[in-house]
Amino acid sequence: MRTVRKLFYGGAASALLLATSIAQADVTVLGWPGGPEETALRAATEIYNARAEVAEDDKVKLIFFSRDGFFDKLQADLAAGTDAFDANLLATYSIGRYAPYMTPVSLSEDAADVFGESVLKTMQFDGKQYGVPTDLSLHFLYYRTDLIEELLADESAAAKYGDISEKHLGVRLEPKSPDDWTWQDFAANALYFSKAVNPDSPTRYGTVLQLKNLLFNIMVFHSLPRSYGADWMDADGNITVDSDAYREALKMYKILVEAGATPKDSFSYEYAEANSAFGSGQVAAMIQWNAAAADLTDTEKTPVTADVTKTIAPPTGPDGRFTHVHGLGLGVNANGKNPDGAKAFIEWLSTEDAAKAYALAGGATGLTSGVVSDIANERPDLVPLGEYASNYGFVMNGGTSAKALSVYELQAKEFTDYLSGGKSLDEALSATKDGMADLLN
Amino acid sequence: MTRSTENRILATPLVLFLLVMLGFPTILDIIYSFSEVSFENLRSPTFNGGQNYISILNDPEFWSASWFSMKFGLATAFAECILGLVLAVYLAPIIRKNTWMIAVLIMPMMIAPAMMGLMYRLLLHEFVGALPHYMFYWLGDSPAFLSRENVFTTVFTIETLQWTPFAFLLFFMAYEAIPGEMREAAAVDGARGLRMFWHIEMPMMLPTIAVAFFVRFIDGFRVFDNIFVLTGAGAGGATTSLSIYIYLSFFRSGEIGNAIAASVILFCVSFLALFFAGRLLRRSGA
Repeated sequence: MRTVRKLFYGGAASALLLATSIAQADVTVLGWPGGPEETALRAATEIYNARAEVAEDDKVKLIFFSRDGFFDKLQADLAAGTDAFDANLLATYSIGRYAPYMTPVSLSEDAADVFGESVLKTMQFDGKQYGVPTDLSLHFLYYRTDLIEELLADESAAAKYGDISEKHLGVRLEPKSPDDWTWQDFAANALYFSKAVNPDSPTRYGTVLQLKNLLFNIMVFHSLPRSYGADWMDADGNITVDSDAYREALKMYKILVEAGATPKDSFSYEYAEANSAFGSGQVAAMIQWNAAAADLTDTEKTPVTADVTKTIAPPTGPDGRFTHVHGLGLGVNANGKNPDGAKAFIEWLSTEDAAKAYALAGGATGLTSGVVSDIANERPDLVPLGEYASNYGFVMNGGTSAKALSVYELQAKEFTDYLSGGKSLDEALSATKDGMADLLN
Repeated sequence: MTRSTENRILATPLVLFLLVMLGFPTILDIIYSFSEVSFENLRSPTFNGGQNYISILNDPEFWSASWFSMKFGLATAFAECILGLVLAVYLAPIIRKNTWMIAVLIMPMMIAPAMMGLMYRLLLHEFVGALPHYMFYWLGDSPAFLSRENVFTTVFTIETLQWTPFAFLLFFMAYEAIPGEMREAAAVDGARGLRMFWHIEMPMMLPTIAVAFFVRFIDGFRVFDNIFVLTGAGAGGATTSLSIYIYLSFFRSGEIGNAIAASVILFCVSFLALFFAGRLLRRSGA
C-alpha cells in the first residue's frame, strides 16, 4: 500500500512538474541541431528566459531534430501547417521556400548597426525581413604561409611560375602574396604547386576543388564568377547565367581539373574531404567555408599544417573581391501558437546585447566592426567574418527565392557535367539557363 | 463458429493493418500522381490529368536514371550470382567441415548499405583512405576511384562485394540439399567434376539461381543508400539511379507530382517483371 501511495505521489509530482514546465515554455523554437549554433542558442535562450520583463507565457523552450534532411523535414512540417513550434531556423537560400508559411518580423531599432545591411539582407525575401541573422557562412582563402614565403624568396622559382602560368593560363604571372591575388594568381599558384604540372612541387596538389554534385559546392564556386560580374538575373528578371563571367570561371576550374591541380577524386569531394586533403599537407591553398578555420588552425586537430595555415578573403577579379554569404537565422512560423512571443524573442535576439551574448557562446554572428570590437579578445575569428561579410558579401539576384535551392542543385548538376567532361560549356550553360528560367520566372 | 468464420476474424486485424499502412498511401500516391502538387498545396492538389506522366516520360533524366538502375541491377545481380555460385560450390567441402565459416562469409550483409557507402568514402579517400595510401606507397600512384570514368565500376564492385554473400548462402543451401544418391547414381554412370556439375547439380540449383538473380536484381535496381552517401547523384548525374531521381525530384525540386508519377511507373514495371518472373518460375517447375 505504501508503495502504491509513493507511486501515486511521485506520479502527481512529475505531472505537476511537466505541466509547470509546459506553462513556462510557451514559445517553442526549433533550432539548428548540434555544433556551436545549438550551444549559442541555448545560452542566449537562458539569458532571455531569465529577464524579468519576459512573461511566464513567453518563456522560450528549444527543440531540435537531426541535421540530416533538416530542411526537407522542415518544409514538410511547415507545409502541413504545424503548430509544434512558434519560431524556426531559416537559411538564406531557403527563405523563399518557407516564406508562404512564415510571418515577417520587426527587428530592434539598432539591428542595422549591430549586423550591417548586407548581413540583414541574408534574412530578407521580397523586401521583407523574415528573420534575425544568427550565424554567418562565407568563404576564406586558406593558404600555406611556409610555401608562399619559400616561393617569394626563391628567384629561380619565379621563372618556372611564369612559364607555367603562361602555358596553362595564357598570361605570364609572377608569384605574389595571397593578399594581392587575383583569381588568375590563385590558378597559377594551384598549377605551380601541383606535381602533375611541376614535378618539383612540395605538395601533390596546388588546390582542392569541391566538385561533388552538391548545392553547397556551387556556393563555394560562386565567389569566383561573381568577381567577374556574374549574377543569376538582371534587374528585369532575365536569366544571365550564360555570361562571360560564368564562362571565365568555369573555364578556369576546367583548366585546374584537367591539369591535375586538384585531387583526382574531386568530383566526390565536399567540405570534409577538402579539409582532409588540405590538412594532410598535400595541398597548397583552397577556398573553403569559414567554419573550417577553427579546425584547420588548431594544432591538435590538424597537426601537419595548422601552424602554417592562414586565412584571408577570396581573391579578387575584374569586378572586385567577393565572397558568397549566407546566414542562418530564426523566423516566425505563421501557424505557431504564440507568434507574438516568438516575435518578441526574435526582436530581442537582434539587439546588441543579445547578439554579443550569442556570439560569445560560440555563434558565428556577422557583426559590424563597432560591435565586434567589444568581443574581439574572446572571439578574434569574428572580426574578419563581419568585415568580409560587409565588404565582400553578396547574394545572387534570386538567391533567396522559393526555388533558390533548386537553382543551386541545377547548377551543381550542369557545371559538374561540364567539368567532368560530360557536356560542352555551351551545352551546360544553355541547359542551366533554360532550367533557371523555369525555376525563377 | 465455422472454421472459415474463425479464419476471417483472425485475419481481420492483419487486413485492416495492410489497408491502413499500404492501401491509404497507395490511394494517395495515385491521386497525387494525377495532380499538380507541391509542398504548398499538399492538402488541396489540383487534378491535371496525366500531365505528370507525360512530363516524366519526356524527361531525359528519367530515362538516364532508369538506364543506370537497369544496368546496375543487371550487372550486380549477374556478378553476385556468378561469384556466389563459384564460392558455394568451391567452398562446399571446406564449409561442411567448418560451418562457422558461413558466419564469417555473410558478415558484409550485416552492414547497413548507407554505412557501407560511408565506409568506402573513407577507405577510398586519397588522403585518409587505406587503399590509396598503400597504392601510392607501393605503386607511386592511385587511380581516381570515383571519377566519372571509374565511378560505375567502383559502385558496382562495392555492391557486389556486399551482396555476393547473399547469393552464396542461397546457393550453398541449394547445393547441400541435392540428394547424395543423385550424385552417386551420376558417378556410377561416369559423371565427374564439371560434367557432374553442369548436367546434374546445376539443373537442380536453377530455380534457386533464378530466385537469387531476381531478388538481387530488384535490390540493385532500387539502389539508393550506398551510392547516395558515396557520390550523391554523381558528376552531371552520372550515378543517379531511379530511386535517387525520385528522391531529388520530391525533396530537392519539390516536384511531388512528378516524383510520385515516377514511383508509380517504377511500381508498375516492377509488378509486371515480378508477375512474369513468377509465371516463368512456375512453368519451369520451381
